[in-house]
Amino acid sequence: MNAVEAHNLTKAFGTRKALDGVSFELPEGTFLSIFGPNGAGKTTLLRVLSTLARPTAGSASICGIDLKEDSDEARGLIGMISHASMLYPDLTAEENLVLFGKLYGVADPQARASELLEAVGLSHRRLDQVRTFSRGMTQRVSIARALVHDPRVVFLDEPYSGLDPHAVDIFDELIASVRGDRTFIMVSHDLAKGFSMCTHTLMLARGRVVAFAPKEKLDYDEFAALYRSTVGMGVA
Amino acid sequence: MARLTRQMRQGGGPFAPSVSKPSAFQQYKTLLAKDLRQEFRTREMLTSMGIYALLVIIVYGAALALTANGLDIMRMGGGLLWVLIVFTSLLGLGRSFAHEKEQGCMEGIMLVPLDRSVIFLAKATANILFLLAVEIIAVPLFYFFFMSGEPVAPTFPAIVAPLLLGTVGMAGIGTMLSTITMNTRAKDVMLAVLFIPLIYPLLYACVTATTVAITGTEFWIDFFVMPLVLACGYDVVMLLVCWVLYDFVVSA
Amino acid sequence: MSKGKARVPEAGQWPDRLAIPALAAGTVLTSAAFLLAFLYAAPVNGAALDAPELVGGVMVTHQQLISQKIFYFHMPVAIVSFAALAFAAYYGIRYLSTREARFDTCSRVAMEISLLFVVFTMVTGDLWTRFEWGVWWTWEPRLTTYLILMLIVIAYFVMRNAVDDPERRAVFASVISIIALVDVPICFMITRLIPSSVHPVITREGGMAPDMALTVVVALVGMMLVAFGLYRLRFREARLEERVQALKEQLDG
Repeated sequence: MNAVEAHNLTKAFGTRKALDGVSFELPEGTFLSIFGPNGAGKTTLLRVLSTLARPTAGSASICGIDLKEDSDEARGLIGMISHASMLYPDLTAEENLVLFGKLYGVADPQARASELLEAVGLSHRRLDQVRTFSRGMTQRVSIARALVHDPRVVFLDEPYSGLDPHAVDIFDELIASVRGDRTFIMVSHDLAKGFSMCTHTLMLARGRVVAFAPKEKLDYDEFAALYRSTVGMGVA
Repeated sequence: MARLTRQMRQGGGPFAPSVSKPSAFQQYKTLLAKDLRQEFRTREMLTSMGIYALLVIIVYGAALALTANGLDIMRMGGGLLWVLIVFTSLLGLGRSFAHEKEQGCMEGIMLVPLDRSVIFLAKATANILFLLAVEIIAVPLFYFFFMSGEPVAPTFPAIVAPLLLGTVGMAGIGTMLSTITMNTRAKDVMLAVLFIPLIYPLLYACVTATTVAITGTEFWIDFFVMPLVLACGYDVVMLLVCWVLYDFVVSA
Repeated sequence: MSKGKARVPEAGQWPDRLAIPALAAGTVLTSAAFLLAFLYAAPVNGAALDAPELVGGVMVTHQQLISQKIFYFHMPVAIVSFAALAFAAYYGIRYLSTREARFDTCSRVAMEISLLFVVFTMVTGDLWTRFEWGVWWTWEPRLTTYLILMLIVIAYFVMRNAVDDPERRAVFASVISIIALVDVPICFMITRLIPSSVHPVITREGGMAPDMALTVVVALVGMMLVAFGLYRLRFREARLEERVQALKEQLDG
């Protein structure tokens, strides 16, 4: 079964098209990096696939579950790590995880929260308010938050913004350790980083797919050249 | 089918918890508890609203310095009290989504499989509780500063009814409108511009009922019961409309 | 344009051909109503005079209320403005159910027409208040309701200006138009049913005489036609503007 399937996804308002017939099929257990210039529709694609935005036309499914018809079921399979932490700064790390655990209906939210905090190496800070955390620590709690309900597909929306190099390394290590058989989809501006992490790449420009391929079929230099020319296209 | 696969994964290592969708009521309680806990920790809304209410009372003191004849104030009391409540609520309602927006938490909540009207009901309930908490402080203060000199009508305790109905309606429509205005420029002004005309009917009804309760009058049915029935009707209709339309607003 | 989208309103469709005739007919009818109001409809009696007097060859026993003539225009513009609001809300619902940007344009244009007529309502209403009751403003239920309606319509446009994302703006605008449509009748009912202790509610009840009714109907039909004509012309303008914008974007891209 494919983790993500998109058929002719279109997101438009009037004549303005943010996505214009995007189709691809992503097998389970892969890591997809989405590239493209600003305004190419990367974030829109991520929002549509994560049910935050409704497509104007076309359909998409997560693990075989149609996003339109059974959005609640699909939401249960999705996790999201974004540049915003999605954590309440006035609540403690543990309270944040328990809150989301309860909302998702995790059997023992308390135990799950401790387990996840352990996994991201923040057990010692579990009773501190998220407000007091550094950006890197917040992002680690954010990873734990995204995994609280054991999602099959995890979206990463510019997860590196605001992280210092050391925090980026920790972040990468953590992602690798929690990866398991999950599917990851990442939007990032950092070509080298995105390329090194992924198994598949998707290049978007003006809402259309320019290239979609498994990484082994690609040469980094050629891909970088394509990326530069695509970014050039996007400069209007 | 998906539920089946979830159960199969149950107990399979540290990253496989058992997940079953909780009832809407449970999610409602969780969200409401979150808002209350946050408020208990920061006391942001309650202190700012409480201080604001006190400041409005002080402004009244200056504004009414020359006309502060006890009888006049009794007749204006209902109106003045509602001015206080409307502006204080505006302040609170404008802040009610600040935390949700700050770190993108609203999106986190939107990603949860959860009926959107639950978000509305939880937020509206939290706002009702905060407004009531402020009223519990502000109304006695108002009484203390302006009405304690005069004997009040025996019907005075009846102001609780319009206060309750008014608070419910204002919190309901205010929650809806602040969801809209948190995504606009000049949030606070926008909220006032939308909020005040839309609650005008409710305000009118509540002021009438409150004034009558304070002064006591013989036309009890016309001036007290009728406004309350109408305020109740407004609350029911507007809460229903907001409840139905909330999904569109919050998903936009 | 594909066949499935044929039902979406667009500039240049058949109603556009009716816009100019409707505007002309509306103007004629409104002018006719103006004449009827003064020449045909009988003056309404005001306070009784001490003794019968001869005015313009007719014996009258009561003060003749010339200010009442405003009523023949006040009521139709009020009805038209509310009708326009209802259309705005209707298109708002259509937008929310179809997510077709065109309906947002329709809703916005209908709201603009509503604003225009609400302002007329306020002006005529205020004139009436001034001449009949001698005050510039009174918190009379109808006037209050229209003041609130005007504020809501203004708030609608202020809100539109404060949102950047066009889709979000359309959703919010649709929701506000629906809430406004629900709120306005409630506002009227509440201000009407609760007796005001400050200003007694002054309303002359009772059916209209046939000559009055005819004048009102002529004015109403005339103004409806004017509103329709204006709506279509404005819609056409808005659409052409949108299309130019779209072309510009295409060229830029």
